[in-house]
Amino acid sequence: MTLSAVVFFLLPHWVAAETWYVKKSATKMQAEASARSKVLTKLKQGTAVEVKKKSGKFFQVLAKGKTGWIFRFKLSKKAPADSQNDEDVLGALGGRQKMTARESTSGSSIRGLSPVSEQHARKKGATPESIQAVKDMENFKIRPEELDRFLEKGKLGEYSQ
Amino acid sequence: MNIPSKKSIMQKKYFKIFGPSFFCLSLGIAIILIGATPSYAFNLDRFLQEVEKSSQPKPKKKEHDLTGEEPAPAKTQQNDGGMIGLGQSLGIFDKKTSKILQQSVNTLQALQPIAYKEEKAIGGRLAVEVFNRYGGAYKDPELLRYINLVGQAVADVSSRPDIDYHFAVLNTENPNAFATPGGYVFVSIGLLKLIQNEAQLAGVLAHEVAHISQKHALQTLGRSRSLQGISALTLTVMDENPGLFDKLIDEVSEVLFTRGLDKDLEFEADRYGREFAYRMGYYPEGLQNFIHQLGKSKEGESSIFMSTHPSTGERFNRLKKSMSRYEKASLYPILGKRFLSSIKKVQ
Repeated sequence: MTLSAVVFFLLPHWVAAETWYVKKSATKMQAEASARSKVLTKLKQGTAVEVKKKSGKFFQVLAKGKTGWIFRFKLSKKAPADSQNDEDVLGALGGRQKMTARESTSGSSIRGLSPVSEQHARKKGATPESIQAVKDMENFKIRPEELDRFLEKGKLGEYSQ
Repeated sequence: MNIPSKKSIMQKKYFKIFGPSFFCLSLGIAIILIGATPSYAFNLDRFLQEVEKSSQPKPKKKEHDLTGEEPAPAKTQQNDGGMIGLGQSLGIFDKKTSKILQQSVNTLQALQPIAYKEEKAIGGRLAVEVFNRYGGAYKDPELLRYINLVGQAVADVSSRPDIDYHFAVLNTENPNAFATPGGYVFVSIGLLKLIQNEAQLAGVLAHEVAHISQKHALQTLGRSRSLQGISALTLTVMDENPGLFDKLIDEVSEVLFTRGLDKDLEFEADRYGREFAYRMGYYPEGLQNFIHQLGKSKEGESSIFMSTHPSTGERFNRLKKSMSRYEKASLYPILGKRFLSSIKKVQ
């Protein structure tokens, strides 16, 4: 009887505990369910977080010993299999025996127009301006702080009401 | 008379006990491995979609949660017969064995999913093609920054936020927008002139981001005849087979610039695009309002949206039909003023 009661009271907590995963590196965990609150830490892609509470567009989570709030759309229910590298998923399923170091390079380190692409484009008569335009496009960067200010001004994302 | 040693008797005994069992176990494992692998290989794209879809946080009860209809999965190339079929008809293999052997052969021939590095090589080459065909780059750093800010915002809440996205403006009056694999997105000056506010722009960019996040062009490429017999498309394979790379680029170019993707993939990109814009906090009717506007405009007639996409009417109706799932949509910002001040130079 006593054991049943203990199980009865503990069960909802076990059921409620949900593990989610950070979708992109540098995701902010904040002190409150507000984009303007203090940033407690920044989490890496794939970090597992335990969701404790859901409030609007924010989830209260426990991660790496800290409790804080994360914009819900920065989290995923499934552990990211590194979308740049499908082999990771395939590897986990046993579908591919070997993955070369070249293939396992993370997406963030892949920069610039591939030599294969550039060579092919030149051979096929693409103008140097078109090739340069792709390089310029790749080199154009938005700083996270700039994006943050943009969202705040437009009351978007974490700043939306 | 040869008296067997104690050791050889023990060996025979162990063989009697473990030999057949070990053989059966090994056979069983081999059959399971051979039989199970094809289903992973054939449905990996589908599987990745399922994973990504199921990973999305579910909004409120009535809000759109990306659980609607899905595009038809890519048809896989099946080898129908050959020696295995002959073996079955001659009674060498039973039906089940033939099926397992057939599946393992198909697995060996099936193309492994294209890795990000290769995806980006294909997408980068196609990006050069976009600039080459559609007026080159429109060089206005302020406008470029604005387009990148809106694009990055929706990409960050997409189903694939962990790759680099690049946004550019094309110097052509034709209202066009493109996405090439690996994260390259383009909008033309002509298209920007038809857009009325930032929520519409976010919807259009998010539609293109959805093509990338859902790997629509790669799904089409996976069905290419040029890739038959190739198990993994790597940069080395591309480098060593310029003819193959030629064919691939030609085939994807044909799809992206002339024939268009499957209708279902376009509808999916509409649904996902609206969802991504909504997640970022934009008025979720932005995309459908733009589609409606495009359908009414004269400029729209020359748009690649008309020649390579389903009709604007059909797209608008489909989006409108499922709009009721977004509650309090009218409370979300459209940001008309910010949009107009950002694109005033091209107006």
